[in-house]
Amino acid sequence: MAHEKFPVEILSPEGAVWSGEVELLSTRTTTGSIGILANHTPLLAMLDPTELRLYESENDYIKFAQAEGYLQVGGNRALILVEQAHPPEELDAGDLREKLQRAESEIESADEDSEQGRMAARDKDRWETFLRIAEGGG
Amino acid sequence: MQTQRDVQNRIGSIKNVEKITRAMEMVAAARLRRAEQRIEALRPYAGAIRRMTRQAAEAAENVPSLPILQEHDEQRRVGLLLVTGDRGLAGAFNSQILRAGLRAASEHESDGRSVVYYASGRRGVSSLTFRGKELAGRYVGFTDRPGYANAREIAEDLMATYVDDEVDVVEIFYNGYISPLRQVVRRETLLPLQRASVMGEEDEEEEEPDRDEPAHTHRALVEYEPEPEEILQRLVPDYVEISVYRALLESTASEHGARMTAMRNASENAGELIEDLTLEMNRARQAEITQEILEVVAGAEGLTG
Repeated sequence: MAHEKFPVEILSPEGAVWSGEVELLSTRTTTGSIGILANHTPLLAMLDPTELRLYESENDYIKFAQAEGYLQVGGNRALILVEQAHPPEELDAGDLREKLQRAESEIESADEDSEQGRMAARDKDRWETFLRIAEGGG
Repeated sequence: MQTQRDVQNRIGSIKNVEKITRAMEMVAAARLRRAEQRIEALRPYAGAIRRMTRQAAEAAENVPSLPILQEHDEQRRVGLLLVTGDRGLAGAFNSQILRAGLRAASEHESDGRSVVYYASGRRGVSSLTFRGKELAGRYVGFTDRPGYANAREIAEDLMATYVDDEVDVVEIFYNGYISPLRQVVRRETLLPLQRASVMGEEDEEEEEPDRDEPAHTHRALVEYEPEPEEILQRLVPDYVEISVYRALLESTASEHGARMTAMRNASENAGELIEDLTLEMNRARQAEITQEILEVVAGAEGLTG
């Protein structure tokens, strides 16, 4: 069964990443996975790195490797603000592996419960997620 | 009376100046285009972050016990960040920021508040140092093309001094980009959030009236995931970073615009000067010719007479 569509806009500091109409949007908030259909209750959510999926129809979806961000839903529109969002084919696994290693060594050298430690942990989570997406996993 | 040769030398040197100013104008125009694209790409994102911060802050019932969100009991120390350029020759671009910043500083001081200076751009750093102001932070070498990392570095310093209770308010001064001909000095309060410009009325340029904005719903009906207090813990630092980044990009576009305009004016002035001098040179040449004719005629008359 076809679902009603609703407009979605993805913005990053470098400009608009994507905008269009979708039936379902799926991403991950800090509390867990979330799917948004048309006429969703107004929502403000904090997003964690994940594979963002924009279902243009039941089986056909666009994928993005999405970094930390925010999701705002209201007036039957969704706005996603992310630091970065890349189509999976633009990801470079080798580069991501390097970044992941750097983040891991930063975690080791950072003091426990320090700002650097937290930043590095966020980096690690992001690059791990991106790497998984780059290697074809979900 | 200047001789023909004197005037010719001056014309030559002014032509050289004109070549340089034209070249600088063209370089600034090319850089302006890129800077303009970047700021235009960022504005919707920065505006949305701003609105979200406001929405979450209004919804948060009790401000979480995060130091970054605590308003200090007294506002006695003010941190001022002046965003200037690394280079001059851009008209009033740098001086108007310094003037506005120093005026605000003396207002604060006459109200009994102490001022801590931060400057981005070599011009701001050197002018403030020259005036004997001590700088708590100097950020140079990137104003041609600031990156997000530069903004993050500045934002982290500002947030750290605020959290460490070394300042009670953080204000930022930068040139807002309107057009190549027009840049306005903007003054914004970044911290504390309760006093920040984000909580006040939005400036008219920022407001894209309702632009199908998802946010215009009563806050009681909005779901939050996680709680607004938790969202703010991440959103506020992001908001400060983005605000600084935006100020840097606005400033860069303004700098190139101001330089382009200043150099165009300089080239036009050089052109006018060359015209005037050419006229003067022709007059000098005519005067020399007349003089020579007079001498010849006088000599001839002397021979016949």
